Amino acid sequence: MRFAFRALPAAGGGVLTPRPVVDIALEGLSDAPMECLLDTGALRTRISAELAPLAGIELTSTLTEEFYVGGLKTAGALARVTLTVADGTDEFSWDAPVWFCDPWPHPFGLAGLEGFLHYFLVTIRAYDGYLDIEPRLNSEGR
Amino acid sequence: MPTMTVSGHQYDLDPPSVQEALQGVLPEPIQEHFVVINGRRWPPKQVLALVTGLDRADFTTHQARRALTRLGFTAGRSASPRPRHPSAGAAALSRPAAVGTTEQPQALVEALRPFIGLWVAVRGDEVLVAAPSPKEIVAWLARHRQRAQSMFRVPDSEQAVTGAAPQ
Repeated sequence: MRFAFRALPAAGGGVLTPRPVVDIALEGLSDAPMECLLDTGALRTRISAELAPLAGIELTSTLTEEFYVGGLKTAGALARVTLTVADGTDEFSWDAPVWFCDPWPHPFGLAGLEGFLHYFLVTIRAYDGYLDIEPRLNSEGR
Repeated sequence: MPTMTVSGHQYDLDPPSVQEALQGVLPEPIQEHFVVINGRRWPPKQVLALVTGLDRADFTTHQARRALTRLGFTAGRSASPRPRHPSAGAAALSRPAAVGTTEQPQALVEALRPFIGLWVAVRGDEVLVAAPSPKEIVAWLARHRQRAQSMFRVPDSEQAVTGAAPQ
């Protein structure tokens, strides 16, 4: 599957540099895949906790951790959820650990090693402005 | 304030009253025709029904469009009518090569510009809906049986998209 880097408008005018993103649907939110920035330096896959109740994901009694992201102290709650990527023709789902974070400063999720990169062969072609992902799943998710 | 007759009833309408009536309302999916109000595209019948209180069956799309263009709003026609059903919507999610990396990004950027700071659902280079929260986005998609390609908040600062520290 191929995902074009996504450009966004800059608040002050102009255009923000296009970034590598993948649209990932949470189980229960298949009609609204969340834009996730591909973050090769991140161990976790993190998204806003705001999305958990919309997908019917309960975060009570789950493992939590505090950390800093973008200079902001936040807390994440772990849940194993089914994630799906689709490009309109192909679709792939996998069970992954996702940290739902509150507060969450970013306008997108972060797709890191656990939860995303361990499950795919990812080829980033920044020069051409896109990335390819190919599922590489086994029972360990690696 | 212009007076217009719609479905046998007379209404005094002006652009500010129409704009005010749409505050807090989300536009429904555009099937073909639209009018531009407050920087967003609206189905003409939705707007006229809101400002007059009439049932939508009481007037046609063309009557609504004509009434709103008389008030000075821009009207247009969608290049390709949107699919009504999620299955058709999924088919509309073009394959990577069609998503492209040259023409499409700029079109999406301009489509997103009026919605800086808001959550949006997009499909291709089209903004399906924009709202202050993802909850409203998800509810809108479900209500109108639409499937988005992606949902995110349009960043209101460069800082919001940088500084993702490794963890």
